Amino acid sequence: MPQIQAHELSRTFRVAERETGLLAALRSLVRRRHRIVTAVDRVDFSIEAGEIVGFLGPNGAGKTTTLKMLTGLLHPTGGSATVLGCVPWRRHPDYLRQISLVMGQRSQLYWDLPAADSFEVQMSVYGVDRVDGRRVLNELIELLGLGGVLKKPVRTLSLGERMKCELCMALLYRPRVLFLDEPTIGVDITMQARIRQFIAGYNRSHGATVILTSHYMADVTALCRRVIVIDHGRILFDGPLAALAERLAPFKVITIDLERDANGSDFSRYGELIGQEARKVTLRVAREAAAGVASRLLADLPVLDLTVQDPPIEDVIGRVFAESARPAAEPVGASAS
Amino acid sequence: MSGLPRAWLALLRRSIAGMIQYRGEVALWAIWGVIYPAVALTMWNAAARDAEGGAIRGFGPSEFATYFLLSMIVQHLTAAWDVHEMGWQVRTGQLSPALLRPLLPMWGSLSDNIAYKLVTLVILAPIWVLVAWLVQPRFEGGWLDYAAAAAAVLLGAAIHYLWQYNLALIAFWSTRTNAVGEFWFGGKLLFGGLMAPLPLLPPLLQGVAAMLPFQWIIGFPIEVAMGRIRGVDVVAGLICQALWALAAVAVFRVAWPASLRRYGAVGV
Repeated sequence: MPQIQAHELSRTFRVAERETGLLAALRSLVRRRHRIVTAVDRVDFSIEAGEIVGFLGPNGAGKTTTLKMLTGLLHPTGGSATVLGCVPWRRHPDYLRQISLVMGQRSQLYWDLPAADSFEVQMSVYGVDRVDGRRVLNELIELLGLGGVLKKPVRTLSLGERMKCELCMALLYRPRVLFLDEPTIGVDITMQARIRQFIAGYNRSHGATVILTSHYMADVTALCRRVIVIDHGRILFDGPLAALAERLAPFKVITIDLERDANGSDFSRYGELIGQEARKVTLRVAREAAAGVASRLLADLPVLDLTVQDPPIEDVIGRVFAESARPAAEPVGASAS
Repeated sequence: MSGLPRAWLALLRRSIAGMIQYRGEVALWAIWGVIYPAVALTMWNAAARDAEGGAIRGFGPSEFATYFLLSMIVQHLTAAWDVHEMGWQVRTGQLSPALLRPLLPMWGSLSDNIAYKLVTLVILAPIWVLVAWLVQPRFEGGWLDYAAAAAAVLLGAAIHYLWQYNLALIAFWSTRTNAVGEFWFGGKLLFGGLMAPLPLLPPLLQGVAAMLPFQWIIGFPIEVAMGRIRGVDVVAGLICQALWALAAVAVFRVAWPASLRRYGAVGV
């Protein structure tokens, strides 16, 4: 029995719009123009207990709107969904006690108070047994390395510290389903890795179901076996991550910093030139050729620094859309569900 | 302790800690609540001195002093401001974290409301004593009047809080609710008895005031405490207050789900 099911789930927004300028502002007093924007368009998927699923798409693709519906923040305008057998937007307290939404850009913590105070309130609000709660809190503090920040007001914490506190808040009551919206946004690479490890550990030890949205490919590759790609509110791919990587991102991005100006050099023999400044060059090369190209660049040119990275997920998806002649409505991959 | 009481007391402790953190700003808001009655008292005292017999419809300087001193206290104890807060919360999506908790967001806002009143008492109580010493009010009520007034203040606070919260739900349709809040405050000033004791209003305005909730928030508790309303009229008044509070709960039960259907959860 799937733990999360969405069927023809849709959400539209009525958005007021007008031209720029004073005249347009005055005109809008008399006659307001509205446009219906479809944020999520009849999406279908189901997720089994214990899965970690990456929910990917460019900004405005509809992934966060879908999460908002699944967590009960938004009512859909069409279709249906159930999470743990409940209709999310009925917001039944028993349902809300079993889910958690961590938002990279929105805090559950109380800004002016020490993080420890937020944790105390959270345990009381979620009716966590005092003895159990204390034990879970101590575990989380240790796992997340929060010992040094508990007494500091939240507003004085660094982004990474705050994000770890958000995770602690979210997991204090042991939710069965975890919705993570950009959980590593803005934090440094070391912290990103720790957060990923922690999420994977929580999934393993508690069998929790996790839906993750992220712009960082590294988050997705580290955590998700399955990904759902969404754009313009429609699911374009639902299947194993391996298939997505081969299909949508069969290339790497190599960036080199040079000792002297590269003007006049021909970089097309190494790969597709996608960016060039005086001493910095960015190339797109086939995934399997990346290592060889990197070696050649180091041998041929006065390279100060060289990085090989997966392309940003937005670029990958955008490129696929640009290259694909298929209509957006047609799925690129086979459904895993 | 478990369930809602445990959760709400935890929220109250959080709110008190938050208010103490911003004690300077909170103190200024509380003192602002003293200024209106002080201005009204000065004006009415001047008017009473010039009036024939030194009184206006039974209100002389000492009655005005008692009335406006009590209005400082009642206004503080019945204060509510959600209509100003909610617009911001809806517009910026700040309501979302509260909506994710297995508890009505109203409980969080109620804890803030009560925390504000408790924390600012430390500042206001000495100010009230100082004002009382300056204006020499005359308290003629008995213990029964004060007990009834305490009940009336409690019900007045409930009416104000609940109706403000209902009004705040307009934010889900039109996110700018500050103007609505100002309009409400105007109603409280004129029809609640903040600007003038209700018996001094022209009959037409008294008729309008009778149909609105404002007098049950401010005017009625003050007049009960002054001993101007007694016996069966007090009981009838308390029943009217309870009905206004129950009506607010009924409106909330319909309006809240409808509001949530409108929520756009911006910026999450």
